[in-house]
Amino acid sequence: MVQNKLPSKADIIKGNRRAIAKAITLLESTRPESFEHGQVLLESLLPLAGKALRIGITGVPGVGKSTFIEAIGLFLIKQGHRVAVLAVDPSSQLTGGSIMGDKTRMNELAQHPDAFIRPSPSSGILGGVARKTRETMLICEAAGYDVVIVETVGVGQSETMVDSMVDLFLLLMLPNAGDELQGLKKGVLELADLVVVNKSDGKQESLAKTAQSEYSKALHLLPSSKNSWTPQILRCSALEKRGMDKIWEAAKSFRETLRNSGEWEKQRRKQTGKWMWSLVEEGLLLKFRNHPNLQKQISELEKAVESGNMLPTTAATKLLDSWQTHSK
Amino acid sequence: MSKSKSKTKTPSSPTLKDWEKQASRELKGKATSSIHWKTPEEIEIKPLYTAEDLEKLGYTETLSGFSPFTRGPRATMYAGRPWTIRQYAGFSTAEESNSFYRKNLAAGQKGLSVAFDLATHRGYDSDHKRVVGDVGKAGVAIDSVEDMKILFDQIPLDQMSVSMTMNGAVLPILAAYVVAAEEQGVIQEQLSGTIQNDILKEFMVRNTYIYPPAASMRIVGDIIEHTSAHMPRYNSVSISGYHIQEAGATAVQELAFTLGNGLEYVRTAINRGMTIDSFAPRLSFFFGVGMNFYMEIAKLRAARFLWANLIKQFNPKKEQSAMLRTHCQTSGWSLTEQDPFNNIVRTTIEALAATLGGTQSLHTNAFDEALGLPTETSARIALNTQLILQEEAGIPHVVDPFGGSYFMESLTSSLIKEATKLLDEIEKLGGMTKAVESGTPKQRIEAAAARRQALIDHGEEVIVGVNKYQVENAEPVEVREIDNSAVRNAQIRRLKKIKKNRDSNKVDTALNAISNAAENGEGNLLDLSIEAIRLRATVGEISAAMEKIWGRYNAPIHSISGVYANSFPDQKEIKQVRDEIKDFAKKAGRRPRIMVAKMGQDGHDRGAKVIATAFADLGFDVDIAPLFQTPEEVVKQAIENDVHVIGISSQAAGHKTLIKLLIEVLKKENSEDIVVVAGGVIPPQDYDFLKDLGVSCIFGPGTPIPGAAREVLVAIANKV
Repeated sequence: MVQNKLPSKADIIKGNRRAIAKAITLLESTRPESFEHGQVLLESLLPLAGKALRIGITGVPGVGKSTFIEAIGLFLIKQGHRVAVLAVDPSSQLTGGSIMGDKTRMNELAQHPDAFIRPSPSSGILGGVARKTRETMLICEAAGYDVVIVETVGVGQSETMVDSMVDLFLLLMLPNAGDELQGLKKGVLELADLVVVNKSDGKQESLAKTAQSEYSKALHLLPSSKNSWTPQILRCSALEKRGMDKIWEAAKSFRETLRNSGEWEKQRRKQTGKWMWSLVEEGLLLKFRNHPNLQKQISELEKAVESGNMLPTTAATKLLDSWQTHSK
Repeated sequence: MSKSKSKTKTPSSPTLKDWEKQASRELKGKATSSIHWKTPEEIEIKPLYTAEDLEKLGYTETLSGFSPFTRGPRATMYAGRPWTIRQYAGFSTAEESNSFYRKNLAAGQKGLSVAFDLATHRGYDSDHKRVVGDVGKAGVAIDSVEDMKILFDQIPLDQMSVSMTMNGAVLPILAAYVVAAEEQGVIQEQLSGTIQNDILKEFMVRNTYIYPPAASMRIVGDIIEHTSAHMPRYNSVSISGYHIQEAGATAVQELAFTLGNGLEYVRTAINRGMTIDSFAPRLSFFFGVGMNFYMEIAKLRAARFLWANLIKQFNPKKEQSAMLRTHCQTSGWSLTEQDPFNNIVRTTIEALAATLGGTQSLHTNAFDEALGLPTETSARIALNTQLILQEEAGIPHVVDPFGGSYFMESLTSSLIKEATKLLDEIEKLGGMTKAVESGTPKQRIEAAAARRQALIDHGEEVIVGVNKYQVENAEPVEVREIDNSAVRNAQIRRLKKIKKNRDSNKVDTALNAISNAAENGEGNLLDLSIEAIRLRATVGEISAAMEKIWGRYNAPIHSISGVYANSFPDQKEIKQVRDEIKDFAKKAGRRPRIMVAKMGQDGHDRGAKVIATAFADLGFDVDIAPLFQTPEEVVKQAIENDVHVIGISSQAAGHKTLIKLLIEVLKKENSEDIVVVAGGVIPPQDYDFLKDLGVSCIFGPGTPIPGAAREVLVAIANKV
């Protein structure tokens, strides 16, 4: 039957949508056999990947991330680019599956033949969000998407993770300056290569202008440790699809600057190192959790900790000790 | 009042305490609180109400015809003139609908109510590629004034009040009505009737909007302005709770959100410099009436009281400005596919509630509407239901017969209290436009719908013939079949003819004037649309002239989670399904993934949203597709997300055309391994047709979701 056929390297390179989608499913699979197939395929595609500009986008809920991605995505396609959008959602529910409505918020982009949008379910995954996103990104690049946008949902830990896999980190802001800086996790602003004040339209336009200058001041106070690029503060209206050209200009000049200084390659190589480590961490955790000799103890200690009969530190030490004994 | 009562009491007459004792004996020792009933509104209903309850409320008597109109807007109500029987109908071509209208008028119907097809609602001409499955299906196809003239052929528009359910393409449709009348020799001053023109609830529940909220509100304002100046007998907005109830809202939510929307329209007009008395008497309302009998009666009474009080802040001089007049329709959602003749009884009870509540006009649904479009017979029975209430049962002789009832006045008062709380919340958010933008009203309605679905699926809430007293082999019911492509071809021919015979330069000028007015915010768009319609511009062209400036809007879709599973009374059943899904995920390497989609221009998404949230609660990964998709778009997204299943929700009879296309596209894309299931209003006689196409499961109204989820799992397993 059709479904059991594995996606082929040739089809992915040709940009066959079905093949790309099936390959991503393999990478996401919790079935060892499928996962293995995915890794083999990925390895064969690696030489073809790496040519895209990788953009991470974040911002507080309600800032208009999806509307922005729709606007910039359509703009880029008009410029002749092909755009892939991936969503990272590290939050996980206890029971139940995920509801993914990403495409409803990027309706026009979702319909476009030069766009590929893949929302990934978050629940039931043991870590691994970063790995899957990174690998999905590579598949998309091999399939010829030359701009890959990684959207993070929510503000927090996910930013650092996304920053470790993209070239350019874009922070989207609301036009009411003061309140928002308060709400932002410390450090997120420091990651940003571009800060874009969205909703610069109608009555909010003047607010947005004020915010732009406020953010400029705030940003000057921060130590620019990331690279030689000076972060820029821009304004746009994703709703009215205005300001995309300037943002793209800035992105290109960012790439230019970093390429000229040699930091572009350095950053990517550094990211590869992080990639290795995240694979190690994930692999260790998986092996630990699934270790046959630990199963009984894990569930016992879990219960003991949850009922308050044992300190978490004690339980963790015990588990790690047994792990060490068993893996000798 | 209480004084006179206690005087007449003899020492031996029983007290409330005596009753408590007696009642407790009958309950074998249990307290009477054990038989209190909690409504979906969380209002607690006691088994017995007495004068004491009214005393506690500080109840004072009012009279019909006087503010706050709780007992009715007119002094004599139906005793003077019964409610208007106004059946909502329309299908296929203008010719067919016209002949249907004329038959009904001859049979005793008093006013007309036009149902338009979804292509027209969304401002597309019948030749547009996005409406292949929609033309002529859930209403009549109107592309130009020529269609409108045929629709009202031999119906004198100076004498007939016409209600038009139109919210998206309000401008070209109202314009076409005005021009059709004009060419009959009837001037605007003579026209009486209503246009729904209630865009806020579209953003909340029904989704037949075209433009973004701000632009849409401008259109509402332009229409109020034009009608108050030129059409004194015409209702400019019909503020609708009906669709809010149909989407799953409780009576409290329906009241608060509807009246809140009303307030927003009032403010829009006042901000334009109009005085309250120049337009408020021409605002009318439209409520849904479901099976919660007492509640529905109380709701209409409460609505009148609340509106009269809300309007006070604008200092009206005319009594009529604060007088809520309403149309009602029996609930379509309460109709069942199973054992459908029961629906005649349901509709009768709902109609009775609407009239006891004091509606000004009423539509009664045909019993076969959970299966498809009504036939001539079912439409006649629906109409007769009202005639029997009016002419056999003697309902009209007394005004507000429940007035003064201990229970009804208490219930009315509870509703007023709860709705006021919610209205205050809305005001705090900055009014309904803001609230709608935030998405909260819609999410609350969806939570109420999910909660209710869980209770029904588990049998806690009984629906006869669906989750209790089912029959094995109910006799099949005949439904009306519309040859969708024949209607479309006929419309396309007429469009071609119109475009050939008109002065296209003049049309272009008129359309440009509309675009300019949309862009610079000046001029009245209805005036300009009337001009363009006279020159034979089409509904689609006029809509496009504004779309060019404002774009076509897509309301953001929010989803809820956890409500369905947590409301399900039997957690064991939930766990069982979850375990099955876990097993599946273990074997397949991921959870089963389903894309819930709607195709065509039908925006009724209660079914789709309830399915999405419940399936996710049970353990599916659920993708929600945007509304108004073509089959090609659905397939593209399903492939991209690599789903196991596409679940199509269909309420508007487009399934035969659109699901057929969907499966063809799947084949073309080499993706027949994706399972297709369908649900919604699908006539049972179409089941075989769909199954032959390759649809794996079909879920009619009333299918319990946990069972459906299992069936879908099996269907996936069978494909792999």
